[in-house]
Amino acid sequence: MKHLLLRLEPIIWLIFGQGIVIGTILLTGWIAIVGIAAPLGFVPADALAYPRAHALASHPIGRVLLAALIALPLWKGAHHIRSLSLDFGGLSRDANVATLLYGVAAVGSALAVIAVVRL
Amino acid sequence: MDRLAHPDAMRPARPDRTRMAPPRLPARFPFSGRYRAYLLFGASGIPYLLVGLLLLHSIWALGDGPGAWMAVMLAFQQPLYIAFHVLALAAVVYTAVHFFWLFPKAQPPRIGPVRPPPRALIQPMLYAVWLGTTALMAAILAGWILP
Repeated sequence: MKHLLLRLEPIIWLIFGQGIVIGTILLTGWIAIVGIAAPLGFVPADALAYPRAHALASHPIGRVLLAALIALPLWKGAHHIRSLSLDFGGLSRDANVATLLYGVAAVGSALAVIAVVRL
Repeated sequence: MDRLAHPDAMRPARPDRTRMAPPRLPARFPFSGRYRAYLLFGASGIPYLLVGLLLLHSIWALGDGPGAWMAVMLAFQQPLYIAFHVLALAAVVYTAVHFFWLFPKAQPPRIGPVRPPPRALIQPMLYAVWLGTTALMAAILAGWILP
């Protein structure tokens, strides 16, 4: 497993980097409006009503953006949590931690594609 | 006649293990000096992973129909979710500011035949893209444009 992780490191780093740049650029607006402003009533109620939300999300551009918005933060999170575990002396458990975290990110990314396709 | 020495002339027949000092955590680790900012950048991965999973749940619910979507929107009104999203927004903003400060310093002088833009330009460009995209996404999601 350790050998496989080393071989996959360049690919993981590539997606992790995109998670920081593209994930961060896309996430800010989503969290600010869907996670904070709308629940606090600062946004018109019909803005995120089902018909409008579905129409936006099921547009081809919406599907691509949503898939990126879900998958990229998962990889950014997985890689950074693994680094954090290593920083706190987790070298001996690294193979298990990395497999678990990258597994969550990989399965989550696959489900993200399915989620946007079934809209 | 003098000859050049063979580069491996002094190599031992069987190389010994490289001796290394046992690993020790630095004295200021983890909360002093630059370790704090470094570890905060790493810890921002926790909210990112959770936001990604929550987003997956939300979009899956959107595919399930109006009832499931409304249930997610109602759940987001609970104080716990709002507090989590405030924390996640802080993590995203911290990541952006930290990374946009770091990114220009990490640029190579050239990538093949291409020279990256001057360092002084990279950071404003990143901020412009980030703030512009955020404003556009916020305007679309809030219904201010594309009603």
